[in-house]
Amino acid sequence: MSQESANTHPILQAAQLRKEYRMGESVVHALDGVDIAIGAGEFVSITGSSGSGKSTLMHILGCLDRPTSGMLAFKGTLVSRMSDRQLANLRNKNIGFVFQTFNLINRTSAIENVMVPLIYTRKSFSRSIALEALDKVGLKNRAKHTPGELSGGECQRVAIARAIVNSPEVILADEPTGNLDTRTGTSIMETFRSLHESGITIVLVTHEMDVAVQANRMIHMKDGKIVEDLRVDDEYRNYVLQAAQSTQHELLRAKDRMEKAGQKHRVGSGEPGGSTMEPGVVIDEITPDRGGMD
Amino acid sequence: MFYLRIIWMALRGLRTNLMRSMLATIGVIIGVGAVVSAVSILQGSEKYFLDQFESLGADKIMVFNGQQQRGGRAMAVNSLKPEDAQVLADEGGDLIKAVAPQYTGGGQIKYFRKNAYVSILGATPGYAEINDYKPVRGSFITREDVRSSAMVVVLGHKVARELFGALPAEGKSVKINGKSFTVAGVMEERGTIGFLEVDNQIIIPLSTAMDRMFGSKYLTSLIVQCADTQKLDACIERTKIILRQEHNLKAGDEDDFITLTQEQFKRQLKQVAIIFAVVFYSIAGISMVVGGIGIMNIMMVSVTERTREIGVRIAVGARRIDILLQFLLEAGIISLFGGALGVACGMAMGDLLSKITQVLQLYTPATTIIYALVMALVVGIISGIYPAIRASNLDPVMALRYE
Repeated sequence: MSQESANTHPILQAAQLRKEYRMGESVVHALDGVDIAIGAGEFVSITGSSGSGKSTLMHILGCLDRPTSGMLAFKGTLVSRMSDRQLANLRNKNIGFVFQTFNLINRTSAIENVMVPLIYTRKSFSRSIALEALDKVGLKNRAKHTPGELSGGECQRVAIARAIVNSPEVILADEPTGNLDTRTGTSIMETFRSLHESGITIVLVTHEMDVAVQANRMIHMKDGKIVEDLRVDDEYRNYVLQAAQSTQHELLRAKDRMEKAGQKHRVGSGEPGGSTMEPGVVIDEITPDRGGMD
Repeated sequence: MFYLRIIWMALRGLRTNLMRSMLATIGVIIGVGAVVSAVSILQGSEKYFLDQFESLGADKIMVFNGQQQRGGRAMAVNSLKPEDAQVLADEGGDLIKAVAPQYTGGGQIKYFRKNAYVSILGATPGYAEINDYKPVRGSFITREDVRSSAMVVVLGHKVARELFGALPAEGKSVKINGKSFTVAGVMEERGTIGFLEVDNQIIIPLSTAMDRMFGSKYLTSLIVQCADTQKLDACIERTKIILRQEHNLKAGDEDDFITLTQEQFKRQLKQVAIIFAVVFYSIAGISMVVGGIGIMNIMMVSVTERTREIGVRIAVGARRIDILLQFLLEAGIISLFGGALGVACGMAMGDLLSKITQVLQLYTPATTIIYALVMALVVGIISGIYPAIRASNLDPVMALRYE
């Protein structure tokens, strides 16, 4: 655990978290004794390969799922002792969620999507609160548009506005840039940074290193365990970002070389001969999947 | 405010799949439509018949030809004779005030080129007295007319208007079923008396109708006016005893006539109405069950389609009861919507039937509409319980991952 996080008051604290799934005869240990303390105002990224348990950890930290065993406390209060109603209240007022596939309700406008958490506060509210949240993510002028009329980046901003509308203390984001192209992803990360600067604790699950290093603390998971927990300083961040840029640069040079040689690149072609690209090289536009709901 | 927002959300949910929602409600529309049209017709017909009998008055007994068991089978028998009326009047004592024997038939009345199809009533002067039914012009049938089987006729108000317009009809010669009659008078406008629309009726002497027009020895009915409505039962009893004696019935024999008072008629009508109501409500009930299954089906589809939405709602703070309520309300609203359409369809159907048949009367009490809508709402909510429970029990983590 980094020195910084140990010194701040933990907003989320977990000890010996275990989560087991029974798959027929065998038992899968999604979390295998995780100890973690996240201080108020921290910006933490959780990385790891697929199946490492990072999303399971996020769901448990977000009180969406209960651990098989272990302890979780939110601001010193034991979550495991809370009723479903108290948990719903906690999620509503203190935690904001951002998902990879945005999870917006397609049949309603951006502002109505943002208003969903406000409804469950069970208090009267005005639309101006939702409009203010949309303004914070730069989408005030798109309030009446439905998700189908918005780009992937804009949809994710609406989802962020929905997450912050009740002024939560923590935002949990699960692969928030996973369905976005690089430029839009960078812009979304800038939004998270600005939210962090306003004092909100951010926990971000990602498998992209250039995204993960934008946090102040990076936790790496493997096989349901935390294997690395380090503080990200500017030096380390720049090193990783440069390395990523250089890889990207190398990939573009390779693409140029191939085009100059008159070879057409076909990714995933089913034609005889298959792809003309070098193994492991992927140059493909990411098509954002809006991931909305009717 | 919170519940208003939940209702609003439910409405928004339905608007997305309006056509599907409407199709799901067809069963409810049919069910509610059947109930409303059936009740409208039943109530309307009941009201019509009661009004008809009310016009006869509470102090009167209608006597009709009855049935008798012959060879193990119930056979209609003609038993009422003109003499019965005389005996009833003579022997009725202080119980029977007056008796009007009558013979009803139908036919065509013609005056030059104008003609009309009318009810023909063979009556005695007592008919006008008993029913307080007076001529506006000319005179009614006299005892002398009856005695001599005179070829005279008194026209109902509507008949006179159709044949003569504003011109005087008295003294004019008309043809009734090919026979020449002289118009003696025109009756006042009255509507109905004891099931007969008297304005579209012509009255001829009883003897003329039976002997010279229809060739019958028997009456179709008798109206007995009792002296005191408080002693109606005694009056009925006296009528029965006299008629049984007149018809030479032995102690064990069944009556060969039927007596009917306003109260008895009301009771019988209610019994018939109950039988019809049970049949109609059963049909409606089956339609409602089918409708309920339709709604349940559509709600199950809706829950599956909106699994991720449910996950998000739980993630942002919805309680399980909120999800349950949202889907229950959606089911209730669909059904209520179907119910409202059903009420409209049912009333339109009743109206159409009443126009086509020109017999069925329509009357839809407000309580029927309220009951129908409440029934639709209850069916919707019951149908929505299972899908709503399924939605509210979803694991949010699994729901959010649902593809």
